Amino acid sequence: MSRRAPPGARTGAAGSGSTSSSALAAINTEDMCPVCKTIRYLNKDMEFLINPECYHSMCSNCVNRLFNDGPNQCPYAGCHRTLRRKGFRSAFFGDLAVEREVDIRRRVAAVFNQAEDDFETLRDYNNYLQMVEDLTFDLVSGTDAQRRAAEATLQQWEAEHKADIERNRKAGREADEQSRRRLAAEREAARLRRIEALREAEEEKRERARSREEELDSLAHGEAGAAGGAQRVQLKKRGQAVASRAVEAAVKTDVAAADVGRLSIRGLKEKKKAPPPEGPYDPFGGLDFVPSRYKLRPELTHPGIEKYKVDPAHITGGYNFDEYTARAMFEAFAGLGVFIEDEKEVGIGLSAGDVATMSAGIAAVGDNKMELA
Amino acid sequence: MEFNIDDLPVLFPYPRIYPEQYAYMVDLKKTLDAGGNCVLEMPSGTGKTVTLLSLIVAYQQYYPSHRKLIYCSRTMSEIEKALVELQALMKFRAQRLGYEEEFRGLGLTSRKNLCLHPSVKREKSGNVVDARCRSLTAGFVKEKKEKGEDVDVCVYHDNLDLLEPHNLVPNGVWTLDGLLRYGEQHKQCPYFTARRMMQYCNVIIYSYHYLLDPKIAERVSKDLSKDCIVVFDEAHNIDNVCIESLSTDITEDSLRKATRGAQNLENRISEMRDSDQQKLQDEYEKLVQGLRGADDGRQEDSFMANPTLPDDLLKEAVPGNIRRAEHFVAFLRRFIEYLKTRMKVRQVISETPPSFLAHLKEHTFIEKKPLRFCAERLTSLARTLELTNIEDYQPLQEVATFATLVATYEKGFLLILEPYESDTAEVPNPVLHFTCLDAAIAIKPVFDRFSSVIITSGTISPLEMYPKMLDFLTVVQESYSMTLARRSFLPMIVTRGSDQASISTSFQIRNEPSVVRNYGSLLTEFAKITPDGMVVFFPSYLYMESIISMWQGMGILDEVWKYKLILVETPDAQETSLALETYRTACCNGRGAVLLCVARGKVSEGIDFDHQYGRTVLCIGVPFQYTESRILKARLEFLRETYRIRENDFLSFDAMRHAAQCLGRVLRGKDDYGLMVLADRRFQKKRVQLPKWINQALLDADVNLSTDMAVSAARRFLKTMAQPFRAKDQEGISTWSMADLKRHQQKLDEDRIKELQAHEARGSNMPPRGVGNGRDSDYEMDDDDEAELMALHHTS
Repeated sequence: MSRRAPPGARTGAAGSGSTSSSALAAINTEDMCPVCKTIRYLNKDMEFLINPECYHSMCSNCVNRLFNDGPNQCPYAGCHRTLRRKGFRSAFFGDLAVEREVDIRRRVAAVFNQAEDDFETLRDYNNYLQMVEDLTFDLVSGTDAQRRAAEATLQQWEAEHKADIERNRKAGREADEQSRRRLAAEREAARLRRIEALREAEEEKRERARSREEELDSLAHGEAGAAGGAQRVQLKKRGQAVASRAVEAAVKTDVAAADVGRLSIRGLKEKKKAPPPEGPYDPFGGLDFVPSRYKLRPELTHPGIEKYKVDPAHITGGYNFDEYTARAMFEAFAGLGVFIEDEKEVGIGLSAGDVATMSAGIAAVGDNKMELA
Repeated sequence: MEFNIDDLPVLFPYPRIYPEQYAYMVDLKKTLDAGGNCVLEMPSGTGKTVTLLSLIVAYQQYYPSHRKLIYCSRTMSEIEKALVELQALMKFRAQRLGYEEEFRGLGLTSRKNLCLHPSVKREKSGNVVDARCRSLTAGFVKEKKEKGEDVDVCVYHDNLDLLEPHNLVPNGVWTLDGLLRYGEQHKQCPYFTARRMMQYCNVIIYSYHYLLDPKIAERVSKDLSKDCIVVFDEAHNIDNVCIESLSTDITEDSLRKATRGAQNLENRISEMRDSDQQKLQDEYEKLVQGLRGADDGRQEDSFMANPTLPDDLLKEAVPGNIRRAEHFVAFLRRFIEYLKTRMKVRQVISETPPSFLAHLKEHTFIEKKPLRFCAERLTSLARTLELTNIEDYQPLQEVATFATLVATYEKGFLLILEPYESDTAEVPNPVLHFTCLDAAIAIKPVFDRFSSVIITSGTISPLEMYPKMLDFLTVVQESYSMTLARRSFLPMIVTRGSDQASISTSFQIRNEPSVVRNYGSLLTEFAKITPDGMVVFFPSYLYMESIISMWQGMGILDEVWKYKLILVETPDAQETSLALETYRTACCNGRGAVLLCVARGKVSEGIDFDHQYGRTVLCIGVPFQYTESRILKARLEFLRETYRIRENDFLSFDAMRHAAQCLGRVLRGKDDYGLMVLADRRFQKKRVQLPKWINQALLDADVNLSTDMAVSAARRFLKTMAQPFRAKDQEGISTWSMADLKRHQQKLDEDRIKELQAHEARGSNMPPRGVGNGRDSDYEMDDDDEAELMALHHTS
């Protein structure tokens, strides 16, 4: 697939590019075979191949030339691996480092193929994923020792969990197959719907042309009255067609049907007002203790209590003078708006207990409410 | 003036009100009371902005909930205009009420427009300004400074920290200019002032993008409360804005840059590992814990933004295989290399996200889940590495955003790979379009979050299309007619040339010489009779160029030249603004000019041709979109499949909204007048898709004209327009004084009472129709008035 040679990071042939003559240097390394120095200009269908043994790329001509007669050494300087004709393939990625990484990943993924459901918690799964990633990294770019260790772990795991791996592989294949089938089915359904829509449009067009012709015919025959009638018939026909189509659509489509007829009538409340967000729990059930007959100022002073404000015996223990004034004011005004006659008639009255709770309530909410007042 | 709508006292900063403004307010209030959404169309030039603002401000101040207003507009100049209106309104209110209300109104625009830093503000590009600003104001820069390191900081930004965080500017309405001046005086950054004060504002005015673009909305508009009133003004293109905000294009060049970005990241990581291992370890620990940096990741100075993600995803921990920084960079590299390989294919490919993901997994072993976290993880990494030169990482971020989107949304998106720029191109220039097909996706968070969303524009017909496309429900959908004391604009549909051959820009006949000549003679005739300025709209640049060259060959341009200066819009913004300037000069000094422009170009959106700048607008051809575009085709198919909107319906709707937008350019107020000529055979059938106010003024006699008939009608019209017209003539008809308004309200009440009485007398249990009925009859009255007046003009 790729026409590119590697950028030279792992090729070992990077030096040869820079030592070539200045004329050649202008030619992109992507278009020149590092082995035979053929450039794309001379060979239009030049194709680069790699061997996963060492990931050194060369053109297909070189591969044929060097390896047709059996295994041979890699032509790159310093690379002493023995390659076979069979092992060569074209690279999927432009960057051969990535190509190699993905090959390794393929091996790792074939072994470590646990799914999220196999783990107790997400955390465990994530740790597992990281372990796999670390292992892959060791394989890809670790030192020799690390690579050997990783390789050993891999084999050990494979040997130990053979059954698990096989099961997961099967499950994965099935899931893939399923999703592929689902996609195909969806595409097919869409295609059918498309054809249906086209057919409908076509039919409508034909119908219109036909009725128009009829109308013209009737006019030509001089039946003056018929023209209006024909039009009415046509209208009716169209209406019927639309109606029948609507019924069909309603039957055929389940969800989307709601969208078709979404007509909006002005002023109609379609969207109910969102319920107000629930506030914090109110032990008094919305009862408000803000005094209505008088106003409490935060720093209400009275000569009588002034001296206690500096008295250490009174200001300790979290005692609040505002509470005192609030209570005093409440007691002074309590019962002012109550008319016993009225209360009797209605049949409700504040019992002594109620009054007590009320004053307690004031004491409780006094702090914040008084600032409001 | 001051009046009540139901129980709500409204202060309107002008002595007179237009009837449609009143109706608009009534409907708006109804929407707000019901807590729903609405789509409202009000003719251009009838004071939509001030109507909106005065009602909503009254609503805010009167009811105890004090719902905040978020007003979104399109361009910076429109934002500034709205702010000035708001300022005037608040001044009027203060005068009337006798005291200044506790009120703050602010506008927000990009850093580029609001920067005061002496060197940063000189940068030309917005991106560079953003990047440089961030490098001066980021949290870690400040930390470093406190540690005594020598780093550059922005004094304007740092001064803000000395002020009370909720009181950075005094109360009042701040225009962008005003804010800049205030910032200069007090040495504080206007941009961050506006950003930070947004929570404490009563009115915020900014661009659509701050609410719709998920990358920005997340950071800017996150803290706005649920009961805000959201207004999208000039919203006829809102679906396109939504779609653009979620679409990305990836080119080979951007991939190359992304690779470089990934390389840089890797270098930074290894550097950091040598010098500051602890930081990487901290980040890693945080990711292991699944503690998302929800608080620090989303603050205003965060470097990179993330597209919308479902909330449950945000709470989940980052997958284990991209937890470590170096793992993540390798992951990104693999993804980029994969995209590069895909780009090498030399045929057009369009595929859905699931099939893309399947292919991706097969070749790179990248799972869907880590891909979803890509953007989030990159942001976190950028923060840890303390990257400042963020513009280097822009392409990388684009790729990450793309990765997140492709893994998040299965439906409503499509990947289209186009290897060649055009069908005839030989050299490949592959572009991978990741297009959003569903406008509802981007706007959904807005509808979910805010209970009242108001979508309004001068031309937003047909109204029912928008709720369908954007997938929401409305309480009110209304289009208002324009009440006029005289017939001040004349829409016409010209279907034939003087030789009775039909004219059209349909593909088969658009290049026929006879059609081109007929269009040419139409242009010449109207150039002869139109005073001052004239604007001509073509469906596309391509067609405009070909028709102009043909006209040149036929000698038509020489003929037009005698009467008007000819100016042409080009895709280049600089050239166009030069042409516009010349056009205005020519209109003012009496030479007169014709501006040839394109119906989807810059001129058709947002440039006003009021009074002498535009007396005739000539729309040559129906401005259909280029239907061969693969993206458009995909979108059409999606609309049909998902929302049951047929291809032709959508195309025609889209063409007509642009045509209406073009027509609306010429009439910018009630004392303005102009001709609106639609020159195409096909307009005849599309008449109903025009906005109500244009359609109403279009007489049946004027829908099928030939060039000569149109010219004589236009002549007659211009003659009546030349009669003196005083403001007094409009009173009581197209402008209401207080008394007129009272009378109208009384009449409505009476109607309602009568209705109720009749209803009781009938004894049926049908619900009363209430206000709606009253308003209908009101319109009838206006129509009658108008008809009478028109009759008067015709007889005179």
